[in-house]
Amino acid sequence: MIPLLGSRSARPWWGLAILVTLLAAWIPLLPLLEPLVRFDRLSTMLDTRTSGLLWRSVWISTLSALLAIAIGWPYALLSTRWKFPGAGLFRLLMPLPLLMPPLMMAQAWFGLTGMTGIGATIFTFGLCYAPLPALLVARSLGKQAAASFESALLVSPKLGWMSMLRISLLPALIGGGFAFLFAAGDFAVPDYFATVGNLFHVYAAEVFGHSRNADFTAGATASLPLVLLGLLVLLGNARLLKSQLGFESGVGRHAQPTSARGAAKLWIPLLLLALIVVLLIAPLAQIYFETGKQGPLSERGWSEVSRTAFQEGITRGRSSLVRTMQYAGLAGLLCLLLAPLWAHLILHCRNRWRSALLVLLCLPLLVPSVALGFGSILMFNQPWLDSFYSSLFLPALLIAGRFLPISVFILLDIMSRVPDAQEETAELAGCSYLQRLFRYRLGGHVSALWLAAGLVIAFGARELDFAILLPAANSSAAVRYYNALHFARDNFVAAYGIILVALLFLPVMLHAWWHSLRKKS
Amino acid sequence: MRNTLAALLPCLLALSCSDSTTSSGGADLVVYCSLDQDLSEGILADFETRTGLKIETQFDVERNKTVGLVNRIIAEAKSNPRADVYWNNEIAHTLRLKNEGLTVAYRSPSADGIPASFVDREGHWTGFAARARVILYRTDRKGPVPNKLDDFLDPAYASGGAMAQPLTGTTLTNATALSLIRGDQEMLDWFEQAKAAGLSFGSGNADVMRRTCNGDFLWCFTDTDDAAKAMEAGNPVAIRYLEQGDGDLGAMLIPNSISILASGKNQGAAQQFVDYVLSTEVEQRLAFSVSQQIPLHEGVSMPEGIAVPGKDYQVMDVDWAAVAAAISDRADAFQEAFVK
Repeated sequence: MIPLLGSRSARPWWGLAILVTLLAAWIPLLPLLEPLVRFDRLSTMLDTRTSGLLWRSVWISTLSALLAIAIGWPYALLSTRWKFPGAGLFRLLMPLPLLMPPLMMAQAWFGLTGMTGIGATIFTFGLCYAPLPALLVARSLGKQAAASFESALLVSPKLGWMSMLRISLLPALIGGGFAFLFAAGDFAVPDYFATVGNLFHVYAAEVFGHSRNADFTAGATASLPLVLLGLLVLLGNARLLKSQLGFESGVGRHAQPTSARGAAKLWIPLLLLALIVVLLIAPLAQIYFETGKQGPLSERGWSEVSRTAFQEGITRGRSSLVRTMQYAGLAGLLCLLLAPLWAHLILHCRNRWRSALLVLLCLPLLVPSVALGFGSILMFNQPWLDSFYSSLFLPALLIAGRFLPISVFILLDIMSRVPDAQEETAELAGCSYLQRLFRYRLGGHVSALWLAAGLVIAFGARELDFAILLPAANSSAAVRYYNALHFARDNFVAAYGIILVALLFLPVMLHAWWHSLRKKS
Repeated sequence: MRNTLAALLPCLLALSCSDSTTSSGGADLVVYCSLDQDLSEGILADFETRTGLKIETQFDVERNKTVGLVNRIIAEAKSNPRADVYWNNEIAHTLRLKNEGLTVAYRSPSADGIPASFVDREGHWTGFAARARVILYRTDRKGPVPNKLDDFLDPAYASGGAMAQPLTGTTLTNATALSLIRGDQEMLDWFEQAKAAGLSFGSGNADVMRRTCNGDFLWCFTDTDDAAKAMEAGNPVAIRYLEQGDGDLGAMLIPNSISILASGKNQGAAQQFVDYVLSTEVEQRLAFSVSQQIPLHEGVSMPEGIAVPGKDYQVMDVDWAAVAAAISDRADAFQEAFVK
């Protein structure tokens, strides 16, 4: 290991990344490959009913992604490029809706407004995934070269605006692409909103229906259209990333936020406040209200019920929270190491290899996670692997493998902007591969690395379908949350949801606090 | 960056060393449990205290509606079986395990007194602590509340009511049992007519119960455990049992079921556990819980207000083996009828 640390060649490290990914992402996929590629069944699979479901999934997910962009893009633009009191707080709150399970957001908005149907589904997905374009746009704007922005601004304010919009368009679309993927794979939210009025379903419900069969591989087969659709979106994202390179530079001074003047000093914070109320405060307030909600005949008061719910959330759910943080944290740490190696490898690949590697890397994200869980059982539940199968490492590896593409996309975006010359100079100076990668490629972008790992932790903590199937993940917070939801322990569910969100948000706040301290010093 | 990476290694080690495995390594018994986690945890903990045995438990959730653990047992059995006991909060999928040859016969002395219709003739499973399928209706609003299943087809009733889609859980079991009585196509037609009459279909029993409590519906077709929670939370609701006239079908009763898995490594401990869970003490405990599960042993004391099956209301006769044999095909047919 020690000689490897000092190695100047990238190959051993890339080999290590491929080896770990093999274990984390590709081995569990092996039992699914044959059922997944039953192309002959595609024609029979897509009859009038299922084609209708697929088409509905496509347009619901497209509208959800567009709404996510419509919310996330202006939010990021206003909160990162203007100076006004509270701007830091708005930036801090940006990722929080992503930490809320979409079903929790759906329940909150149903409780607030009674909304149902397809419109409510699109609204919920749009809110939940708005942070994805917002975070990517914020990162991109933070790296805009000061020279180009200031030159545009000198010509006219309109041109300044245009330069910001141009630089942030592609990150917004990339974030929208991810929002599309997550919306298309979710059946719980449409299912929840389908009760009143016209019953409707999406294609993910068809996949889930097949996953219930004795032959669980039927779920993988049924997911083929969604997998192909997802691949199209991700490869499209990769192309957008490449196009983005022409716009930005990772070196030199970056454009700084401008002080808001006149009416803008008022309307910018007001608009952001309105957005954060819709994204966060209103749903959280509703969920908080539900911690003590009782019927009109109840003899117990709201505060008594709420207090009991929070106490139970902490006493009964504490160990599950710890377990979730352990394996999701471990997955995040793994991605801190794996994602830079993969991003660097893809960056240095020839075009055709690049596409092939991206497809391989993205497959675990695209197949239904319940199928991935069963794949893991078949591959790893062997007598001689008993300790590994029961350990925290298995869920951590699977989460890292499943959500690695998101981290890789973020880092690929960052690394592409750093001139190759910087790394080549370091190589000539005798720097080891790790030094070149982490100091010269990523040195100025530590926050992107944390964002990449943070997203893996957030998505890992929310992961349910394979958590049920793996011994060490079964006692997780997600399983306890959904178990209580099934058995109608609504006060507990609300309190536990708030505790979980607060716990996930804690590292984000600590990081922001640490970052601001460093900036001041 | 170097400092960051230097900090990562200890973090990684700390995380991996802190309880890096589940308790299965040292467990005396592995139980897969589909019942409410909060409810069953106390029972499992008491068993551990009494016997000194250490249990590893794995739970299920709504999204998988019991099938997650059943499929997991089947998948794990292929190479390295792990579970000793399966405690299911319904019954049809326990029979699926029996049909797969994954359960072993065991006649628990604690099962004495449980009606024969809830005990497998060969001893592979035993039913206990049941739920009934009932109408939960609002008492503060006027409107027609069904007495019979076919009332669901009348727009006057249907427009104010809701039930879960028959895709999973007890609703699927109930719909499968009715298909066996009425005929497959007739049951599909029944659902089409109910939809046409204005009946709403929710994602689950708890979901339609919540919406009835919120006032979106006058009534819903759900389980007694959801109804008990609605009443406990102080909602103005009451229960009605369907099909109670002369010659009517009666209300369907769906018990918890427990079975010992053939490949379990701890058969002795498994039998001890099954004896404990099937005891009148546990049935009484479940009856007095927030779910108010209905004891199947005679003479077990119950909270006031719980109706006694067979005495206070008629119970539907169900051929559980036939339900288990038909449930997968019915699930596919209902999927095609509803998921579109």
